[in-house]
Amino acid sequence: METFAQSLVSGVLTGALYAMIGIGLTVVFGVMKIINLAHGEMVMLGMFGAFWGQALWHLDPFVSLVVWTPLMFVVGMLTYRFLLRKIIPGGELNTLLYTAGLSLLIANVALFVWKGDYRTISLSYGMTPVRPFGIAIAVPLAIAFGLAIAITVALWLFLSRTNLGRAIRATSQNPEAATLMGVDVERVAVVTFGLGTALAGAAGVLLAPSLYLYPTVGELLLVKCFVIVVLGGLGSVPGAIAGGILLGVVESLGAVYVSATYKDGIGFVLFLAVLLYRPSGLFGVGK
Amino acid sequence: MKLARRFLPALLGVAALAAIPLVVKNSFFLHVCILVLMWTVLGAAWNVLGGFAGQVSFGHAALFAVGAYTTIILYLKGGLAPWWGIPLGGLAAAVVSLPIGFLCFRLRGPYFSLSTLAVAEIVKLVALNWESVTAGSVGYLITSLPPLSILGASVNWEGKVPFYVAAAILTVIALAATGWLRSSRIGAYLVAIRENEDAAEAVGIDTVRTKALTFALSAFLAGMGGGFYAFYFRYVDPDAVAGIGLSMEMVFIAVVGGLGTVGGPLVGAVFLTAVAELVRERFQAGHLIFYGLFMMLVIRYMPEGIWGRVRKIIDGKKGGS
Repeated sequence: METFAQSLVSGVLTGALYAMIGIGLTVVFGVMKIINLAHGEMVMLGMFGAFWGQALWHLDPFVSLVVWTPLMFVVGMLTYRFLLRKIIPGGELNTLLYTAGLSLLIANVALFVWKGDYRTISLSYGMTPVRPFGIAIAVPLAIAFGLAIAITVALWLFLSRTNLGRAIRATSQNPEAATLMGVDVERVAVVTFGLGTALAGAAGVLLAPSLYLYPTVGELLLVKCFVIVVLGGLGSVPGAIAGGILLGVVESLGAVYVSATYKDGIGFVLFLAVLLYRPSGLFGVGK
Repeated sequence: MKLARRFLPALLGVAALAAIPLVVKNSFFLHVCILVLMWTVLGAAWNVLGGFAGQVSFGHAALFAVGAYTTIILYLKGGLAPWWGIPLGGLAAAVVSLPIGFLCFRLRGPYFSLSTLAVAEIVKLVALNWESVTAGSVGYLITSLPPLSILGASVNWEGKVPFYVAAAILTVIALAATGWLRSSRIGAYLVAIRENEDAAEAVGIDTVRTKALTFALSAFLAGMGGGFYAFYFRYVDPDAVAGIGLSMEMVFIAVVGGLGTVGGPLVGAVFLTAVAELVRERFQAGHLIFYGLFMMLVIRYMPEGIWGRVRKIIDGKKGGS
């Protein structure tokens, strides 16, 4: 029972971070109907940002969030403006292949510059876990969870309360109608891509103290991210949150009760099952 | 006359392929030629599905892996020579492709692509963990190849020529198959599916069956490519034959060479191998940077690929459409 509670809790904590990555991909898909295969690399850049912030300037990874999130927002806007904008009218397959090339490019430039070594971030407060109700929780993971919740809530407020947020949701539901209502769809697209990239980068910063860092980590994260958004329905933010937490819990429980070696496989089987039987997501919100 | 014009380039190509080992004695250059031919087969395999039918697969490494493991296991455990093992590897990959197709073809467009990615990851995990069959991460190594004599002369496995001949035969099979496909009824169905799947279905094309057949052909070629890899490099492990990088390289070849063309994969393979060999000496994994960069440039400025662009220019000069 204790093992069960333990793995359930750590699954939920990791799942919230997965969810953040998933939200980034899903808002971009919602507005532009593209799947960004370079999304995992954006997470990787956030992770390395946190690492170098600490290594070079002794910046606490969680504090460095205020530097990397806006920076990744700008990176995202520039990527859209100068790389993707001309490609998207060419069709979804061209965009898919183009972002595959972008992903390959970023990951391997990172591999060239930073080498393939596994790195870790060690924090002075990360050594001893806290133990509420006898369940051990790593401090960095708990902080990351709290920040992820805060960011997600802030995003939710932005999307539901501000004019720009409403414009994003309107474009996501029906681009033609949004244009007719006076929404500048092009501006919405730039901001959304920036937002998606910033979320990926921020999630990377938050994950960095809890994972191994290496330049090609984006590949694995991207695949997890697909599982999440497909579970929740592509384009749906609440779906991505639920999908992220579900994947975190399934992986965590699967590692304990099924097989540690097939841990990642459980997620994929779940993914295929959902794609086949509920392609609109477990909750039927996506389309 | 029309027939001659159609088969002339093919005959010239076969003659050129046959001439290379007679002219070239440098074993490094021959090695590069073998790589080009192997990549041509793999690019053509991917192109059958991705280029003609418009079904972008990110999981072709899974089929390559099935072919490679089948060939090497049949040889090491069953004593079956690789020249029987390679076609059997292709057959095994084609059989494996049926359930994969049955599952993934229910999905369309990007969803299909995502599902193939998941299938490839599952195959890699199985290859890593099903140790009694695949030897896990240790992999299999061929120490010596069986003796073979052709026309009374025994084949020297230390030289490159026998491998070159095998690769050339596979390339001819792959290109002939794509050439046949392009001009066949199924080829026309595939173009219809690529352009508008609903319309294709509405005019009575059994889209699922057509796509499944095409996938099986694509898998057969990819599996034979995998079998050849095991035969030539004599080593198979999950990272070498089932990685996502391999799937991406097949995509790269077909995209850069020209989606939905017969000659494209050959052009793409020459390009890919040239980049890899030029860069490999300088820094590790550097060639992948250039693969990514070229893929972006081609999609942006030349979405029909190098061969597609050349064809356009030639056809334009003839005064055709």
